[in-house]
Amino acid sequence: MSLSCIIVEDLQVAANYLMNCCEKSGQVEVRGHFSNVSDALSFLNSNTVDLIFLDVEMPGSNGFELLDQIAFSPKVILTTAKTEYAYNAFQYNVSDYLMKPFTYQRFMEALQKIQPSKETISTNSASDHIYIKTDGKLIRLNNDSILYIESMGDYVKFVTIDGKKYITHNTIKNLEEKVSKQHFLKVHRSYIVNLHKIDDMRENLLFIKGNEIPVSKANKADVFRRLNIV
Amino acid sequence: MNNLKASNSFVFNEEIDTNYLFSLYGDDYIYLQEIFVTVLKDYESLTDNIEYSYSSGNLAALKAAVHKIKPVFGFVGLTSVQQECQQFENICVNVASLDVITKDFETLKNRISQSKFVIEEEKKKLEIFNSHFS
Repeated sequence: MSLSCIIVEDLQVAANYLMNCCEKSGQVEVRGHFSNVSDALSFLNSNTVDLIFLDVEMPGSNGFELLDQIAFSPKVILTTAKTEYAYNAFQYNVSDYLMKPFTYQRFMEALQKIQPSKETISTNSASDHIYIKTDGKLIRLNNDSILYIESMGDYVKFVTIDGKKYITHNTIKNLEEKVSKQHFLKVHRSYIVNLHKIDDMRENLLFIKGNEIPVSKANKADVFRRLNIV
Repeated sequence: MNNLKASNSFVFNEEIDTNYLFSLYGDDYIYLQEIFVTVLKDYESLTDNIEYSYSSGNLAALKAAVHKIKPVFGFVGLTSVQQECQQFENICVNVASLDVITKDFETLKNRISQSKFVIEEEKKKLEIFNSHFS
């Protein structure tokens, strides 16, 4: 495994220590260290990485603001001691927390969690259906039956037109590449929606059969492009 | 607290949790010296931020500033100071204004100030030690 990463951390000693851990692991290439969100965003506007080590509390802005503004979905490891970010962490598909200072062993445990998702879905993007692995069996879901897909950390939830919910081990990032582009669009780091099922859109929310789906700033332009606006 | 596991004869200040340092850096004293140097480079700006937040009466900023410096003490093995920072953060959560935490603030401020002296002394000792044994 070779992962590219950036470190967003304003405490120099913590950043240096993290860089040392990455180098020592031989598994992570540090593409940059940024001590504020603005500089990190400038870099990520023209570069992608697999992983971000992110401090949450930084001068001028919150680390989650960075995740709101980037157009792709890297893995995230928070370097903070604050559990009050747990809800946000869930929303942003954070893989782990590292409480500073952490041991190298703890760092490696966090890296272990950054594994490619298990192959729990069988499809090709031109197909009219997908198979998902849930409850020990493969279940066929027709594209037309899926309302949206929601991230649940290392799992995703498929919500279907008949009100059923199927949970499977996978990520939005992985699914984005596998589901039919004709039917589905990622509208937020935690949501892929079936474009054919959208009832209406207000501000930064999509409504699908009574479900409110947030649209991120980064994905809003894509949504407008794909909707058949006359 | 001072129960050095490393194989050579460097003796840390008794305030420093050497087992904790060993868990972070092993017996890499060159790297440890780098850590102490880096910490001292940032120390003034971190403490200035605390002082400024307090003098401007901004409780939230003060809590954030103490939170920011807190792990620094862990990196140099001053785990008791790290805990005191956490305790101060907890106090900040439960008060409405800075007036009621003046004494706590002064206590923490003194601890942070004394800690700088400890870190500086350890850095000097490490420089001498490393110049002889590496």
